[in-house]
Amino acid sequence: MATVDMAGIRKTFGPSVALEDFSLSIASGELVCLLGPSGCGKTTALRILAGFERPDAGTVVVEGRDLSNDPPEKRQFGMVFQDYSLFPNMTARQNIDFGLKVQKRSAAERKEIIDRMIAVTALEPHADKFPHQMSGGQKQRVALARAIATSPKVLLLDEPLSALDAKVRETLRDEIRRLQLEIGVTTVFVTHDQHEALAIADRVGVMSNGRLEQLAPPRELYENPANAFVASFIGTVNKLPAEGLDDGRWRVLGRSVLSTVTAAPGATNVAAVRPEQVAVDHADDGTAHVQSASFLGPITRVIADDDTLGRVIADIISADAVGISPGQRVRLRLRDDVSDIVLIGEE
Amino acid sequence: MRAMFRRENRLGLFVVIPFAAFVFLFLVYPTAVVLWKAITPHGALGTSGLVRALSGTYRTGFIQSIAISGWSAVIGGIVGVLLALVVKSLKRPKWLHPTLDSWSAVASQLGGVGLAFAFIALIGTQGILTKVFNSMGINLADYGITAVGFWGLVVVYLYFQIPLMFLVMMPAVNGLKTSWREAAAIMGASPARYWWSVGIPLLTPSTLGGMLLLFVNAFTAYATAYVLNPSGALVPLQIRFLLQGNIITGEEDLAYAIVAWVIILLFSSLVLITVMQRRTLRWSSQ
Amino acid sequence: MTSQSRFRPANIVKWVFLIAVGLYFFLPMAAMARFGFQSVPTALLTPDKLFTGWSFSGLWTAITDAHMVSGMKTSLILVVLAILLNLVLLVPLAIVTEVRNPRLRPYLTALTLLPWVIPPIALVVGVAATFRATVPWFLASVLSLVPFYALWSMPFTYRALDAGLQAINARTLYEASRSMGASFWTIIFRVLLPNMRASMVAASTLTAAMVLGEFAFASLLLKNTLPTEMVIYQAKNPRGGLAFAIFIMVLTAVAIGLVVRSLRRQGINFNATGI
Repeated sequence: MATVDMAGIRKTFGPSVALEDFSLSIASGELVCLLGPSGCGKTTALRILAGFERPDAGTVVVEGRDLSNDPPEKRQFGMVFQDYSLFPNMTARQNIDFGLKVQKRSAAERKEIIDRMIAVTALEPHADKFPHQMSGGQKQRVALARAIATSPKVLLLDEPLSALDAKVRETLRDEIRRLQLEIGVTTVFVTHDQHEALAIADRVGVMSNGRLEQLAPPRELYENPANAFVASFIGTVNKLPAEGLDDGRWRVLGRSVLSTVTAAPGATNVAAVRPEQVAVDHADDGTAHVQSASFLGPITRVIADDDTLGRVIADIISADAVGISPGQRVRLRLRDDVSDIVLIGEE
Repeated sequence: MRAMFRRENRLGLFVVIPFAAFVFLFLVYPTAVVLWKAITPHGALGTSGLVRALSGTYRTGFIQSIAISGWSAVIGGIVGVLLALVVKSLKRPKWLHPTLDSWSAVASQLGGVGLAFAFIALIGTQGILTKVFNSMGINLADYGITAVGFWGLVVVYLYFQIPLMFLVMMPAVNGLKTSWREAAAIMGASPARYWWSVGIPLLTPSTLGGMLLLFVNAFTAYATAYVLNPSGALVPLQIRFLLQGNIITGEEDLAYAIVAWVIILLFSSLVLITVMQRRTLRWSSQ
Repeated sequence: MTSQSRFRPANIVKWVFLIAVGLYFFLPMAAMARFGFQSVPTALLTPDKLFTGWSFSGLWTAITDAHMVSGMKTSLILVVLAILLNLVLLVPLAIVTEVRNPRLRPYLTALTLLPWVIPPIALVVGVAATFRATVPWFLASVLSLVPFYALWSMPFTYRALDAGLQAINARTLYEASRSMGASFWTIIFRVLLPNMRASMVAASTLTAAMVLGEFAFASLLLKNTLPTEMVIYQAKNPRGGLAFAIFIMVLTAVAIGLVVRSLRRQGINFNATGI
């Protein structure tokens, strides 16, 4: 299986810089998500990897071979596009067959592979339909089957779920991950939806303005965001002031905690505090009052307005949220079980 | 438009009726009149007129007209499609596409005497290109490059056929998604392969429809044919001659019979065009 | 696909093709211009005389000729009337079809193509037979050409309007406006029509081009429009006639080009779509 190494990629379109010193190493069989807002360069990076764009500088190495000068036809990748890109004049079966025919496989082999692909993506009832007769979810499954039928070295997915309904998106997302693990194909998945990325990726590369901000497993991104951008992009975060104490610890939300950076006495910083790290107590003399308390099932999300801190979001276990309602005065503090926090630099 | 009678549907009718009335008055009724006259030669119902309209010189006329229209449709069609494809794929210079759009709009309506004279000025016996080649010792007429005669007429017709095809095909060509091309490429297909398996099949219905349209367009062209082919062995010329040249009643009926055949021929083409259109409609929804 | 230099073999082929086609379209015009503006007869033309005898005199005489002027005026009036009639008939129809029953589109396209199926002479004869008996003055007036011109440009007009409506997703716009409580007429005049400006202009320019070059109907009905006058003039004065023909073509092309540019400046993308 294939390893991918993109190094030092730079790409400009006229005056605008799409990618700046972009480097990415993917291990064989890994699923890496490129995540970021529109215009961050994630699709450009994918297209450079696919061979549809040529970088101004940098190399693309796959399995140890430098592919930078190879056209897309030679790279032996599979790709799923945002608009499915199924050939409208062919049935699902014929679409899947296309790549196999190009590879000059025997008729028997092609039939066997197609049947397997159709079974694995649950497309039996739709196998002989044309794209215009299928729903979005079905079309995307055909696109997926078509992309992996040729046993590609690398699988590329360009926001494949963006055009689908929420429910279909979730099911298909898990199916893609399941298939990917089964086949073990190295995969690059581009998306702007962090939930997708966090749910299925081995590692996520958060991008912004043409730069890779952080490349790490989902949990690490969530718990240890490298900077303010990543912190606010992944999940929800409260940016709260941190005050340096004499013993090198920081004071955040009423408690003294550790961080990776030792505090100089009197230093100030900003802490990225997750909603589930905030506790809410009834207190008539509290500094915050409740704006809303939304019951979300196991968790209740409390949004409070603090006199000094501004808006603070707290996720508390619904059982503890009984009796907290809008207008009440409460006290916010860091939960007892939080011993260190993430600092994200000056505000 | 069959629907239940709600206020909106009444408005729909309100819109359709003037249009229908107009079409009826100026198209359907006159056509019916002519067709009726075609099947009642000498005042009595019969097919003698229709039969005569397809014999002798008139048969030649039909064959010539079909041939010229057909060739100019096919050649013009191919060149027109290629032009559309080339223009779509060339991003630079930026003025190429809009200029061709405007030019095609004008050129597709060109015809008439002006065009005929332009080609005479170019490759007629006194034409400037003829003269240039003469001075180099080449007689263009030997290669059939003259303004008169069968192929001369075809070449002249192409002048408005190609732009018409270009206009007709641009939407279809624009509908060819780049992502299809890219999907084919990433699966290892060469450009030739893509065109063979995807591009050409997708463009074929519109292309055929376009060529049929060109056929219809060329068949009833009159003025250019008049200038360049005075022998008159072309259907529009024959009709005109019979209706305005001769005042013998029998000949008038013959003209109507010829018209009837023309209508049948072109109407069938129209039906085919519609069939092609429905195909494109189906595929364009994805 | 991959953005490369412009000297790839494929690009060269494309440009050669374009230039060949361009030559095909340019040379007859050039020949016409040479004939119209240079007073040296072709037989006597030698390379050294290539740049002598060029003048606008032929053109000027043609433009100021009384018959030509009246023909021009008539044709311009016909252009305006034909465009109006065309739009009045087809815009409501296109809107109603697209909004309520888009599947009728191919049939309507076929219907608007019908006029081309009937040879002009048949139409004229048929119409004359009807009108001569009941309203003789109609055929005598120049206005009788207007319905024919409206009919003849129906294919282009309908297709342009329909394409425009599809591009703005007229159906969705209509339903959204209805759900916000807009009345039918409000939607037409304040939502749909303003968005159809580009396609209406496209349709109108094609109609104008057609009317200015249309010969068959005009000569059959014995009217004096620009094209018929041009034919007569050409017989008397070939040089001037050709010069004038080129002049009109260039003028029309330039006018269309200006319209397209001004539309583009307003951000409306012009697409002279056909059938």
